[in-house]
Amino acid sequence: MSSSAPAHPRRRPRRLRRLAAALLAATTLLAATACSSAVDELKAGSGERQEGGTLRVGALNDIIPARIFTNSSDSINLLIGSVYDSLIDYPLDELEPQPSLATSWELSQDGTQLTLQLRDDVKFHSGRPFTSKDVEFSIKTWADPVWTVQLQRTAAAITGFDTSDEHAITLTFAHPLSNIFDLLDMLPIIDKDTIDQLREGKAFVGTGPFEFASWSPGAKISFTRNDDYWRGKPALDGIDVSVIPDPQAQVAQLRSHQLDLILGASYRDFESLGKDDQFHVNQWDGAESQVYVGTNVTNPALSDVRVRQAIAYALDRKRVVEEVFRGAGVPISLPWPSYSPAYDEKANATYDYDLDKAKTLVDEAKADGVAIPKLPLTYPSENPIYGAIAQIVQADLAKVGIEVELDPQEQAQVIQQLIGAKFPALWILSHAYAHYTPSTLAVSAYPFNADHNASLYVDADYKAAAEKVWKQKAGAVDPADYAALDEQLLKGSFLLEIAITLPQDASSTQVHDIGETKRGEPLFYDTYLTK
Amino acid sequence: MIRYLLSRLGSALLVTVLASIGIFALIRLVPGDPVSVLAGPDATPESRAAIRAELGLDQPFWSQYVHWLGDLARFDLGPSYKLGGDVGDLIADGALNTVVLTLFALVLASAGALVTSTAALVWDKRWLNSLLSALNTAAVAVPTFATALVLVLVFAVRFPVLPAGGTPPGGFFSHPDIAFQYLLLPGLALALPAWAALTRFLTEGLRTQLQQPYVTTARALGIPRRRIVLTQALRNALPSSITVLGIQFGTLLGGAILVEAVFAWPGLGRLIEQGISSRDYPVVQVLLLLSVVVFVLTQLASDLIHAWLDPRVRLNGVS
Repeated sequence: MSSSAPAHPRRRPRRLRRLAAALLAATTLLAATACSSAVDELKAGSGERQEGGTLRVGALNDIIPARIFTNSSDSINLLIGSVYDSLIDYPLDELEPQPSLATSWELSQDGTQLTLQLRDDVKFHSGRPFTSKDVEFSIKTWADPVWTVQLQRTAAAITGFDTSDEHAITLTFAHPLSNIFDLLDMLPIIDKDTIDQLREGKAFVGTGPFEFASWSPGAKISFTRNDDYWRGKPALDGIDVSVIPDPQAQVAQLRSHQLDLILGASYRDFESLGKDDQFHVNQWDGAESQVYVGTNVTNPALSDVRVRQAIAYALDRKRVVEEVFRGAGVPISLPWPSYSPAYDEKANATYDYDLDKAKTLVDEAKADGVAIPKLPLTYPSENPIYGAIAQIVQADLAKVGIEVELDPQEQAQVIQQLIGAKFPALWILSHAYAHYTPSTLAVSAYPFNADHNASLYVDADYKAAAEKVWKQKAGAVDPADYAALDEQLLKGSFLLEIAITLPQDASSTQVHDIGETKRGEPLFYDTYLTK
Repeated sequence: MIRYLLSRLGSALLVTVLASIGIFALIRLVPGDPVSVLAGPDATPESRAAIRAELGLDQPFWSQYVHWLGDLARFDLGPSYKLGGDVGDLIADGALNTVVLTLFALVLASAGALVTSTAALVWDKRWLNSLLSALNTAAVAVPTFATALVLVLVFAVRFPVLPAGGTPPGGFFSHPDIAFQYLLLPGLALALPAWAALTRFLTEGLRTQLQQPYVTTARALGIPRRRIVLTQALRNALPSSITVLGIQFGTLLGGAILVEAVFAWPGLGRLIEQGISSRDYPVVQVLLLLSVVVFVLTQLASDLIHAWLDPRVRLNGVS
């Protein structure tokens, strides 16, 4: 016997069913038969050179307008390298200045005056011609404490500006500056008319190959080609930088061809991308930084230099380079790369791994009454690189009778402790600037600052050695003075170098001719894409 | 009712002001200094002093607080220390992305729960129930970020059919079909735990309904089980599920922080995470206060509705 249900309850199931069917149909339709695919670009390219095109880049960090001149993040480096020019450029692997906005230069006999001839065919992106006044403005901005910049002391030591000729400038120094060309390499020539917008992150106006187009904080930065670039029109139409703080997400987007180039990935990921023939991994020798173990020399256990030296001998640097940096590094005892005028092969091997020496030094110190309790080892928790190194260091030091307690802390806290010299005992961080003129590191990089450093290491001989290599004529520093500086660094052993680390990036094989400056800025002037 | 309303408004305002003081103080008690973050390790003491003065951090605590409160009263949220741009604009941009993603996940979770719960009871097969139970347990047990990573590896890297992350290039509305593809993976990762919770709740609700006398009557009349589930039982089980849906919306907003990281989705989760890590006080203060205000307003609204429906509440509340 069949029964028919009343009509009104049947309306609802029909409606529900229709709604469900419509939802399902819409979903299926959109997913499966979408007229445009978000991953169309996955189709294999022909390899033929493309006219123009936009380079899609992944960066770990966003722009911080207040720190725009600090070389402190990948997106800042990209912006500076794309939008601005310097007066001179260093090649990656040497310290021989090459012309850029300055075509030639002459240093006075006593090293206190530098005259630069400037290009007369350069315009800012705003259309305003570049003149010697812009050089003066840029240097004075650099010396202004409100900007946090490297080499502020060097900029502040420039006391005179002769801008009577629009296309030449004579700089007068308070004393000879051995690292004046480092400043001229690092200093971007900025536009005085838009400095206020620059501070607010609204406009970045330079003379470089690309013009700043837009910035969505936390998301994207865009650049367009500067058609009137003085070196000639770049090949790319533009650059789109996506801010992607997670390295894994960057790698996924490169592998799925949503990005052409990634600036931030782990060393392990770069290693794996390098084995895949769809990608290039670039390693930039010459734009390196250094990873180190810092020591607070006022800690009773670490105030005895023998304990610090024991730690230096106990560090298995090769293991750190192989396991953590996947071979993209060089074990060191001193900060300098091999092309630096302060480099000394023998001195650089001073603290080669030697557990016996380390144990002997620890035993000697203990015999003389030095108590070595468990020492905290502080490092930034956000970056897994530091955590991995810290564990190796902990194991290394345990072998020589120095117990270490791992102390991961937030980056913001670590920086505060570094600046305030508040680390209780040991810490792991990176520093840069050893790949420039040695005095730049000795007088400007905070961990080495002879007047006040995070190690609280005060030594008259070290300070004298650092000042001496700074206050000499550029390019004419006595090698003996560099040897004396090396000797002081090894004698003090307040900062124990582990390795030089080499920056890397990875791109799809459709990207060609990416460059890099010594400042660690990716260069896209010559870059082109293939289909 | 007016007296009750005024008393509730007064306490809501008091809670908000106390919360604002708490937030303002707590963020400053966290070790790590925005000046150190902004200036970096190599800055000179002069640079740090100049930045501190520029940000007004050299002023006494109460002076900073009053200044901030004054700006808030004028709806001036001020610039972010780190990003330079206006905090209001940053939050507006991030909020759009987070809300779109969360709503999409909510729709996915609700639609999925509706389909699976009704399917389980319409067919009532042992294998189907076991399968759904296993899926349900997995969806709850596996952390959201792990699900997100697996989805990226499978659907974006191994079989590249969907974007691995990011927001749609032209925004959400210029090409809805493209936007949908960008939303699918993060939405799925976010929706799975909510789907599990909703499915469990709805299935139980439907089972309870199927034990009611009206169902026995309907079955005696020969009405098919499918129709009973899809009409009577579902209609009666849905209202209580709506409450769970509301709770899940809050959970989804929390889960969005992890999903936004994996899928490079520039939303509020990423904004607050970066704000805290860089000690960007203006961003963190406003976001935390905003969440307090939303919570207070929700409570206020529910209290008022409750009082409007039940006179005893408003009379007790005032007395």
